[in-house]
Amino acid sequence: MNTDNYIESLVIKYLSGHCTEEEKEALLSWIKESEDNRIQFEALRNIWQGLNPAFNPEEIDDQKALNSVLNKINKLHWTQHPVVVYWQRSAAILLLPLLLSLIYLLVSKEPENITQQEVFAPYGTFVEVNLPDNSKVWLNAGSSLKYPTRFTKGSRKVTLQGEAFFEVESYPENPFTVHTARVDVRATGTAFNVEAYPKDSMTSVTMVKGRIGMAINQQKRFDLFPGERASFNKNTLQCKIEKTDPYKWYAWKDGLMVFRDDPLEYVFKRVGQTFNVEIVVMDKEIANQPYRATFKQESLSEILRLLQLSAPIRYVNYNQETANELALKRRKVEVYKLKK
Amino acid sequence: MKEQNLPYEKILLEKLKKGDQTAFSSIFRHYYRDMVLFGGNFLADKKDCEDVVQSIFLKLWNDRDVIQIDTYLKSYLLTAVRNGCLNEIRRKGSDHEDLSAADVELSEITSEYDTNNYMLYSDLNQHLERALNKLSPAIKETFLLNKFEGLRYKEIAARLNVSERTIEVRIAAAIKFLRSYLKEFYLPGLFLIIISLNNVISLWKKIN
Repeated sequence: MNTDNYIESLVIKYLSGHCTEEEKEALLSWIKESEDNRIQFEALRNIWQGLNPAFNPEEIDDQKALNSVLNKINKLHWTQHPVVVYWQRSAAILLLPLLLSLIYLLVSKEPENITQQEVFAPYGTFVEVNLPDNSKVWLNAGSSLKYPTRFTKGSRKVTLQGEAFFEVESYPENPFTVHTARVDVRATGTAFNVEAYPKDSMTSVTMVKGRIGMAINQQKRFDLFPGERASFNKNTLQCKIEKTDPYKWYAWKDGLMVFRDDPLEYVFKRVGQTFNVEIVVMDKEIANQPYRATFKQESLSEILRLLQLSAPIRYVNYNQETANELALKRRKVEVYKLKK
Repeated sequence: MKEQNLPYEKILLEKLKKGDQTAFSSIFRHYYRDMVLFGGNFLADKKDCEDVVQSIFLKLWNDRDVIQIDTYLKSYLLTAVRNGCLNEIRRKGSDHEDLSAADVELSEITSEYDTNNYMLYSDLNQHLERALNKLSPAIKETFLLNKFEGLRYKEIAARLNVSERTIEVRIAAAIKFLRSYLKEFYLPGLFLIIISLNNVISLWKKIN
């Protein structure tokens, strides 16, 4: 019993760095005496280490570490730094050819082999698409565009889900048609923005230049002129045409989010669409408060932070992790009026 | 010593092999902190330890379909931490040139670990917590004040407003209970180290 206590104390002294040379020698010869002794030494050391951890266990952030490892695994670096976000956007645009080859859909509509391809814009960014006729399309976050690899004579048809800005080459004999779930847009050489998010009750078209014809549910045709914005509400079946500053509606293609006295609810809807987050304004009181801001390539967490600074709101279900997590799954954040 | 293994370890490893990131995350969360603390037995810098452990997990993921784990996952991971840390030490080069012969031999012995039977920090502390929770609240408080906060009997008596004799009785009761309880769990060493936590040196003197 006494030798046991002696040895145990020796082990403790050794591990805590208080051993003299003689004591080290004594401990060493005891350990080497038998396998049992070595095992006993290891057991004591194990317990000592468990009670004297090298670092404060609370300060080891395993969630942060896991995120960083998962990011490396998924080769996605979702950081908040605007410069990095910029590069990320560029990278997304560079990634486009890859996306194209990945999502190759064969459609045997025509006797000759014309394939349809579909392009998706990842959340948090947008992509630029060059169509076979040199028309340009900017596809906003979370949207998809379907188009043939070659346009046949007489029509240029594309199908849109979500939001896109079009700059269409002028071929009057070959009108350019954008199909959405409810609205068709027929254009010859113009620039216009189409918002047709499937979850949205509104489908809107904003004219920038040129002239387009619109058809709602394949009927009710009318023309739209520059500076006009047509919004069709699928619930009321009403179509409203108003004068507007068009840039506000397609500034996103320059990486901007522009709000000019827009209701807070709309601001959050827009931010949510871009980053694949469901942001719900829970207090109706603040939902209609007008808000003015321009965000330039800010990250989700930065935008939410800026909004919170300038409006009397608080977030529920929102934390840094919500913002940092890869935007692959849809998250939900609730917004409440700040109590005084 | 008792084996402490991640429940459903086999299932998780199967899922990992198939590329399931949720399974990977479960394994990560279960072992990460304990692995970093284990690394702390070799490397002084927490960041170095975290780097070693994270690269082990990256490798676990990247090699998931070829990796062969013959032992318990815990043992496999701890061995990887040990090797990773020793490599790191070698890479950096040791700056202790003035080691005695006993030092060298002891450090050789102490860099060996029976990772199969090693008790992780969180498992060990769970045992300890369970043991302490078996004590009555008054006895537990007295014991913690004495052993973990290093207060003397007199100071505890004043703080708890009881007699010094009561404190003595409580401490004796706690020691008696913990000794037998922890023995049941093959942790006699744990008991010894708890009761000598603050005064390793004075205990040493008393024994002699």
